[in-house]
Amino acid sequence: MATTTTTSQPALSFPRPIFAALSPHPFLQAHLTSTPKQPLRANGRTAHEFRSLGVNTGSLTHCNGSAVIRMGNTAVVCGVRAEILSSETGGQEISGQEDEKEDEGDEDDDTGEIESLKLLVPNIELATGSSPQHLPGQAPSAFAQTLVTRLRSLLLSSRIVRLEDLRILYTPPSNPDESHSDEEQRREVKGHWTLYIDTMFLSLDGNAFDAAWLAILAALRDTLLPHAFWDEELETILCSDDPADAHKLRLRGLPVPSTYAVFEGKSEDEEDGGVDWVLSDPDAFEESVCRETVCVVVDRSEGGMEGRLRRIEKCGGGVVDRGVMKTLVERSTQRSGVWEKVLSGS
Amino acid sequence: MGPQAVLSHLHRADGSATYAQNGYSIIGSVNGPIEVLRRDELPEEATIEVNIRPAIGVGSPKERHLETLIHNTLRSIILTRSIPRTLLQITLQVRSLPEEDASTGVSTSLTLLPHLLNTALLSLLSASIPLSTIVTSVLLAIPANTSTPVCSPDPKELLRAKPIRSIHVFAFSGDRRLLLNESDGTFSYDEWEEACELAEDVCCKEEGGVGLGEGMEVDGPQDNMESWLRDVVKRKVEQEQRWRTAD
Repeated sequence: MATTTTTSQPALSFPRPIFAALSPHPFLQAHLTSTPKQPLRANGRTAHEFRSLGVNTGSLTHCNGSAVIRMGNTAVVCGVRAEILSSETGGQEISGQEDEKEDEGDEDDDTGEIESLKLLVPNIELATGSSPQHLPGQAPSAFAQTLVTRLRSLLLSSRIVRLEDLRILYTPPSNPDESHSDEEQRREVKGHWTLYIDTMFLSLDGNAFDAAWLAILAALRDTLLPHAFWDEELETILCSDDPADAHKLRLRGLPVPSTYAVFEGKSEDEEDGGVDWVLSDPDAFEESVCRETVCVVVDRSEGGMEGRLRRIEKCGGGVVDRGVMKTLVERSTQRSGVWEKVLSGS
Repeated sequence: MGPQAVLSHLHRADGSATYAQNGYSIIGSVNGPIEVLRRDELPEEATIEVNIRPAIGVGSPKERHLETLIHNTLRSIILTRSIPRTLLQITLQVRSLPEEDASTGVSTSLTLLPHLLNTALLSLLSASIPLSTIVTSVLLAIPANTSTPVCSPDPKELLRAKPIRSIHVFAFSGDRRLLLNESDGTFSYDEWEEACELAEDVCCKEEGGVGLGEGMEVDGPQDNMESWLRDVVKRKVEQEQRWRTAD
């Protein structure tokens, strides 16, 4: 009998993918604790390591601006399409000095007008077969709706697109009889450009927010708006087809998000809680085991090397306190340097 | 003026609460533990479902975002493993918003979030759902001209302090852990830390004896959320138990 059991007994250890599927939490814990000096995650990265980025812009010909980006196995396409929204009220008048006061001027009503006219319209498509959780042909999931709300609110609150770039202005010919001693010239807003920012996930392997934002940033930097002008005789807005007249968007700052997931390690004896790891740039497997996520958005373009914070989002648990948050802000600031290089190199 | 709360006023729900502060008024109701759909069933823990109904119209992606935030926060305090394979249904109906809400120039979902969280917790308490700790939440705003944060500002104050440089929502558990944070605007880490410390003082009860608590009240008129919460529950329990004490 003893001989029969030894021959028919299955192996007591599982192959790697089966271990991961059966018990994901101990699987990741085993990875992180196996080498105490240099803890590696299941995907071979260290806890602080982000995935490398790949950006390719201008690949879609029918868009005003587009980008395909890759972040590990997450791949995203983003296209920016511009449409003209003509003002039906006959155009409001603005003073001529407005574009002289570059940065500090009308910051306040800038976002207000972009928001109320809905000049930035982001959309997310996850149901492209990008991951098994999002089946094609279904209504946008709660996850997709959350994602698009976060992207939209970051687009608006970071004030990355200038209202000035989206305005279509018209300078009425000055009356020759009138002796215009004042140099101030009245201009009218005849319409606005509306940017439809469509983002499609080709493949989703975690960290959807950072990937989508990188794609949107790269596409906006690539966006070229044709020169639009008010034609007096036709009383409509026309676009010039000369590429030399077209202008790029002058983006304000460079907000860089970094997402972290907190892996709560369980110790063998239940008394002390075990070690917690804060994993940078989690992939889909890690997101499924981690409950607490933190997203820090840093903008280094204004505040020198240490940068300014644009946004902090954290929910799902209580591991990250003020001390840990400080290190996360430092990690995010370092990470924003990588984004700057990748985006300017493209 | 502090927040107002009424507990267990809906008789058909397992637990309910109405919460009102600064012109925001929210009704919360909790049903659970009830039977869960096979599709949503989790073998080892309870499924939590959060529904937010806005004051006007039907839910939009903004409400889905708030639902996700509240779901993730409550999941970390509800002892879901003690009631596995059941459903907890939390419905939050916004009853009224202050008139100035849309014109303050800050994100309207952030100004609503702390009130939703506080309502959800009161409803959970009213439904006697097993919780590991409580959660209290507060809104802070840092105006552009000063760097001192304004604590739970009402919309009129926000309008007066316009432009607002950054706005923060913090939620703390009963054991002073930071459970949720949403910060938006432009700020430095030091400002965030200061806001976080202030929020902790407002949310959590002062550690130590009664003397410290009294000292704090002299410092500022702010009473803190946790003692307010205890007070609400204590009054409710006293009212329920009055048949015992009556002679």
